[in-house]
Amino acid sequence: MAKQLAFYFDASACTGCKACAIACKDRSSLPVGINWRKVYDYGGGGWNTDPTHPEIMIPNNVFVYSTSTACMHCENPSCVAACPAKAISKREDGVVLINANVCIGCRYCEWACPYGAPQFNTTLGVMTKCDFCQDLQAQGLNPACVDACPMRALGYGELDTLRQAHGTVNAIEPLPSADITHPAIVITPHKHSQPSGQGTGRIIKLEEV
Amino acid sequence: MSEKNFLTKALTDSVLTRRSFLKWSAALGGTAALAGGMGYGLKAVEAAAENAASVGKWVPGACWGNCGGRCLNVAYVVDGVVTRQKTDDTHPDSPDYPQQRGCARGRSQRQRVFGADRLKYPMKRANWAPGGGDKSLRGRDAWVRISWDEALTIVTSEIKRIDQAYGPKARLWGTNAIAAYGGYVSTWGSTSSGTWSYTSPAVFGSYSSAGNDRLEMRKSKLIVMWSTDPIQVSGGNPAYNYLQAKKAGAKFIFVDPYYNPSATVLADEWIPIRPGTDTALLLAMGYVLITKDDPATNPLIDWSFINNNTIGFDKTSLPAGADIEDTYRDYVLGLDYSGMPAPEGHKNYPPKTPEWASEITGVTPEKIRSFAIEIAQTKPVAFMESDASARINGAQTFGQAFMAISSLIGSIGISGGGTGQTRHSAAGNIGPSLVRAGPANTVLENASNPIKMRVNNNETWGALLKGEYTSAVNEKTPLNIQMIYFTKGSNLQTMVGQAKGIQAVRQVEFVLATDFHMATGCRYADIVLPVTTQWERDNYITSPNREALFWADRVIDPLFEAKDDSWIDWEIGLRLGVYDPAVEEISAKQQAFNKIAGATVLAADGKTKDTLVTITAEDLVALGVTGEPQTGVIPIMEFKQKGSFQVPRKEGDNYTSIALKSFREDPVANPVTTESGKIELHSQKLAADIYAIGFSTIRPIPEYIPAQRGYEATFSDWTNKVKGPYPLQMYNKHYWRRSHTEFDNVLQLREAFPQEFVMNPIDAVARGIKNSDMVKITSSEGSTIRHVMVTDRLMPGVTILPHGAWTEFDDVLGLDKAGSDNYIEAGVPVGEGNMGFNSQIVQVEKWNGPALAPDSRWPQRIPIKEV
Repeated sequence: MAKQLAFYFDASACTGCKACAIACKDRSSLPVGINWRKVYDYGGGGWNTDPTHPEIMIPNNVFVYSTSTACMHCENPSCVAACPAKAISKREDGVVLINANVCIGCRYCEWACPYGAPQFNTTLGVMTKCDFCQDLQAQGLNPACVDACPMRALGYGELDTLRQAHGTVNAIEPLPSADITHPAIVITPHKHSQPSGQGTGRIIKLEEV
Repeated sequence: MSEKNFLTKALTDSVLTRRSFLKWSAALGGTAALAGGMGYGLKAVEAAAENAASVGKWVPGACWGNCGGRCLNVAYVVDGVVTRQKTDDTHPDSPDYPQQRGCARGRSQRQRVFGADRLKYPMKRANWAPGGGDKSLRGRDAWVRISWDEALTIVTSEIKRIDQAYGPKARLWGTNAIAAYGGYVSTWGSTSSGTWSYTSPAVFGSYSSAGNDRLEMRKSKLIVMWSTDPIQVSGGNPAYNYLQAKKAGAKFIFVDPYYNPSATVLADEWIPIRPGTDTALLLAMGYVLITKDDPATNPLIDWSFINNNTIGFDKTSLPAGADIEDTYRDYVLGLDYSGMPAPEGHKNYPPKTPEWASEITGVTPEKIRSFAIEIAQTKPVAFMESDASARINGAQTFGQAFMAISSLIGSIGISGGGTGQTRHSAAGNIGPSLVRAGPANTVLENASNPIKMRVNNNETWGALLKGEYTSAVNEKTPLNIQMIYFTKGSNLQTMVGQAKGIQAVRQVEFVLATDFHMATGCRYADIVLPVTTQWERDNYITSPNREALFWADRVIDPLFEAKDDSWIDWEIGLRLGVYDPAVEEISAKQQAFNKIAGATVLAADGKTKDTLVTITAEDLVALGVTGEPQTGVIPIMEFKQKGSFQVPRKEGDNYTSIALKSFREDPVANPVTTESGKIELHSQKLAADIYAIGFSTIRPIPEYIPAQRGYEATFSDWTNKVKGPYPLQMYNKHYWRRSHTEFDNVLQLREAFPQEFVMNPIDAVARGIKNSDMVKITSSEGSTIRHVMVTDRLMPGVTILPHGAWTEFDDVLGLDKAGSDNYIEAGVPVGEGNMGFNSQIVQVEKWNGPALAPDSRWPQRIPIKEV
């Protein structure tokens, strides 16, 4: 059995198409408002007048890259510590699961998680989140998001094995610092990826309205 | 199961109820946790999963849509309800032999099929009466359920009544039965592919493209992606194919007003350009190549290709009868017949210098020079475009200017090169199909439409209002439409000038629409007929790209009272007396079988055509079809079960395609199908074709034509650069959420992709607009309101309204609220009559009226609420 299952994410190949997020919603029939996998476009730069042609605006380091995230099944999961009902636990293979029968819906885990992974289902009155597609894994199949990616930017496996293959990056903007929870994620950065906490851009999206 | 229970089950299964959640949570270890503390036993999970897997079955189901992707969908069916989808897992995945993976849209098909907003039975408008009743209520009336018999009776009696009163020329659009009953007025004009559909045959003699296949693309040193965004437009594998070229070392340059999603992964360089000004940039690149080329010291131009494979570059290769001032070279250099600089006012004035183009395009002269030199000095270059620049009012010469550059740099007919369109099912992988379906062998012949009146798409709605249309040069013909037949409900949404369209639809006597959702055409109709989706049909055989053939099975039986389009046509035809009830069409299932039985696949030698499937006598019995046993490459039942046959590829195989290779090598023996047999930088045919249409004229060379409603039109005074009432350009990029207008009603796609209006911060700040504000976007046609996304990834002066949102026209406010691009787009009949979706000019202001809820929270369009 794996000691710590982890996702692998290749930021250099992600276009932000959300096939992973929709495959996730489909696999678990998630309603509008609950997204266990989320994709962020992060970008920055600006426009300057060209020094020799003041009537022309030219891009100044305009960049955009996309990041697909779900529950990081952290090595030090703050949601587990925050749950007063002890409904969240870390399994032997590292997967963090919410026991819906025990969850009291207090939403402390939502507050504690820096990744926004646990999400409150108002209909059910309980917290929900990515369970690493354990039903599929038990059948020897891959998580739905991994098999969905048209750019083959997602993978998963034993954390140590992934680190050997792809390095140890586990935080880029707009993700929070890895120091908080030690996320079980291995990231191949995009050429424009910026270290967490040192970004010059912002998430490109409409605010909740 | 009753329909009502069926619906309930489908709906409760498509969202998570507490009960199903707890059951499902238990299967994932929750129960095990309760029983055994922290000892989450994998065995318990395995047992639960096995149990869950045994209740349904996976069925290959269609992904239908007009994106060109059409990837592999497989549906998990439990008691006639699809509870999950997956994509291609029929073989291990590799870059050479990739799974045909679907996109967010395709993976949302079950939300369409089982959506609560499926049309369930025929309906009539509550205040409908023969002749229409109060026609102004169209689009806002209530709906009443009626039987199929009543619906078909109303439809045929209205068709007959209007036929007697006005004749067949009073009908706009129709099906086979209507064609057989005297016909209908139709519409014409290129849509997605813009002006290429005229340019390509005239200029290089091939409609689709002169691009190469995906393994050839890996040999490119440089790939130019001109207004090309494969991941968003043709989801699935095309962008992945480009990624392989990047990994193999190709540099990518994107030319686009927007730093598009494909560019974020592929681009090494981004050249922002104003929409509709592409031809100016291409001409200036030609200027640079011609003026800087020196065959001895600085070879930039492939003179062998220009001399042997093209006409019209200069006087030495003009066709008979041509004006000697109509050469590419003299136009680009701004010369007259004597080779002297043409004076101001002369048709070749001014020289198309980088400075000239810079003012128009917004690209600096230095960048134009370096870009031209780079594509000329790098070998080989794939110089590709995917139509957006051709969907412009005034793009009549864009394709010719584009092909002129690929001719000058000689990127045609060579390994690692290629040029032209890369789009739809040939996005990122161009070449003849390796596997093809056979004919359906239907028995009924299609009726030909005897009415030859064809109205250009741009003119259609205006022509209905004015009562006349342009039928030829200087010729208008009266038009009196009293019946509109929207099949699959979309024409009122897909065509420009929708604001006029709504008016036009409200003035005719009868409007009929068929669809499976309350799309725009249905909403403005009198009678709505519910049709089946492809998942409820037997005969979906399609090629997603050149390497695969899909056979999508019937996934579920037709839902509610939905019927196939062919059944509706048949019933209408019988009632109109145009069909012989004794001669019925062969079943859809038999048609599908015929296509599969007749399918062929190219053998490993790249030449021999093999029969695709082996069929035994037992197979025929099992399939319930008539046919003959045959021997092929794979068993038919294996194909049916997988739903996909894909030709494995690898480097060095015999399936590569290098377009126009033989033409390059010997243009005399292997001419292209243009008038001269060569690539025509001077095309008399293109100019003549456009003249004959009657909207405008062009020269036979790729002169720059400022787009109607393009950049220049944003100024009231061009010389002094004084902006006019519509100072911003707007174009309508294809959008994640939809394939054209399809999928717009799917809630999870609405949530993921909110139909944001896009602006640059410079334009936003100047108007006091912040990210996420509500804005009102106004063109000469009308206004729409949206939330705005303010981002530097779009160049200043340009705005984007994503293409295809279903209009939510508010009769009280007098504006659209859905961000329907075609509501504020105008029909501008010009040139080839293509719709110039990407050329509109607008003003944007902060909207202080009531804010809109996110689209995903809008009520679904359920015309009759069930109790």
